[in-house]
Amino acid sequence: MNRYERWAAAAVALMLVAGAAIFFYAPTDYLQGPVQRIFYLHVSSAIAAYGCFAVVLVGGLIYLRNESAVADRFARAGALVGVIFTTVTLVMGMLWAKPIWGTFWTWDARLTSTLVLWIVYAGYLLVRRLAEPGRQAARLAAVVGIFGFVDVPIVHFSVTWWRTQHPGPIIVNDALPAQMLATFLFTMACTLVLAAVMVWIRYRIETLTDERLHVAEPVRMATSREPEPAQ
Amino acid sequence: MSYLIPAYLFAVALLGGYLVYSLRKLRELESKQ
Repeated sequence: MNRYERWAAAAVALMLVAGAAIFFYAPTDYLQGPVQRIFYLHVSSAIAAYGCFAVVLVGGLIYLRNESAVADRFARAGALVGVIFTTVTLVMGMLWAKPIWGTFWTWDARLTSTLVLWIVYAGYLLVRRLAEPGRQAARLAAVVGIFGFVDVPIVHFSVTWWRTQHPGPIIVNDALPAQMLATFLFTMACTLVLAAVMVWIRYRIETLTDERLHVAEPVRMATSREPEPAQ
Repeated sequence: MSYLIPAYLFAVALLGGYLVYSLRKLRELESKQ
């Protein structure tokens, strides 16, 4: 077991403890019943996604400033892991919405801006996948990643800026009982650890992939070159 | 309850599946080095 696998095992163990807290420690909500337990991972995943997209933002800014390959790899890693956590947020939210709102989806500001966030960073990943790896693709992706981050505060504050079906902030308004708050904070901490481990592993994958590409490129160029004319 | 279990099953499948995939990919890349 290498160090990445050890960290991954530790993050999974933490998430299992968080799962036990969600299902066996947190009290059942009086109004919504057991389905309210979706809240703990739904909100934690959204916060983990914000963190990942902040990595893309910082990585993109550093890349545009000094073309650091390390910053670009962190940005790529953050975008992929961020899209995964946004997917978890969206799908869990839809499954929570159905029994409470009577529909999986409604085009309110919070849901729509979150979907836009997912599309922007899925687009970022598409740019990285389709464009020829190199300086131009990295610069274009950095710009997409930086401008895409504008949507993060829009998602976060949409419930206070506009009238939405989605509930407003409950953590900052002290609307949670102590056991629910403790479960939420613990789940959020565990989810952030998991997200950090996932970004770290992805960063290592991007590094090794880049190293392989740089080795392969001169060989490909040498074999595709036209033969020198005979003197 | 009927939507609670699918919601967590989806999250476990996606997060766990990606984690396992990335660890396998990393092991494969490191073995080629």
